[in-house]
Amino acid sequence: MESLEGDNSHSSSSDAGMDLDTARDAEATEAAEERESLDVALEQEPIADEDVAEVNDESNLGLKFPLARVKKIMKADPDLHLASQDAVFLIAKATELFVEVVAESAHHHTMKANRKTISGRDVMSCIELIDALAFLDGALND
Amino acid sequence: MAERPEDLNLPNSIVMRLIKDSLPPGVLVSKEARSAIARAASVFVLYATSTANALAQANKKKTLTGQDVLDAIKEMDFEQFVEPLTECLEAFKRSQQSKKELKEAKAKAKKQERSPAKKGAPAEEQAAEEELGEDVVDVQE
Repeated sequence: MESLEGDNSHSSSSDAGMDLDTARDAEATEAAEERESLDVALEQEPIADEDVAEVNDESNLGLKFPLARVKKIMKADPDLHLASQDAVFLIAKATELFVEVVAESAHHHTMKANRKTISGRDVMSCIELIDALAFLDGALND
Repeated sequence: MAERPEDLNLPNSIVMRLIKDSLPPGVLVSKEARSAIARAASVFVLYATSTANALAQANKKKTLTGQDVLDAIKEMDFEQFVEPLTECLEAFKRSQQSKKELKEAKAKAKKQERSPAKKGAPAEEQAAEEELGEDVVDVQE
């Protein structure tokens, strides 16, 4: 199953992988208009696991993370009140893309060191060197 | 409310799957690497939420919308995500719509199965089902 709708080419950027550009051939679409109804994924919360799997398994969605779990993490923010279902979905999907990008970036370090196993150290190197990952500084120490 | 640690984590198996899918075959991932990436992902959710929420509040809105998230993603320097995200959102909305239609069709079929004598009850039930679809959940409850 594709982790992202459409092609998922693994081509890395030509430099040493210090930036986060990933080559994805997504078709350009118009920006989605927000719907009037602002229901959060209430329908998905109390349902059984297999139903959640059904939501995540839609081949045209490519979404793997369970929306209910993502919403739970979002709720840890005391400033957050209401969130539309679209917002939860987009954060879930963006996080999936994030995981992929970090994995690819870490892999660059692994390859440079001629290793086959991505280590925690490789991940930390990305965080130190890539601007967009600066928000993780200190967040993973424990 | 007290959150157990695992509640704020994303499923490890799914994180691992995403990692593997983004790498060429034969690449191994240490436990530490997978754990670090999983934790980073949780932090990303919080960071994205906070950034998007700040944008929503700056626009005097109380509800986080998809557009707020897209704008936040740009602000977080992940602009390359916006295009694939927008496309996925379209697919998501379509599937939500067809699920809703399927549910309504099922509810209708159920109603028709019942004997006409019970006219009162099905109407109530349908109203209750419709209510389900329109609830806005207070995220902070």
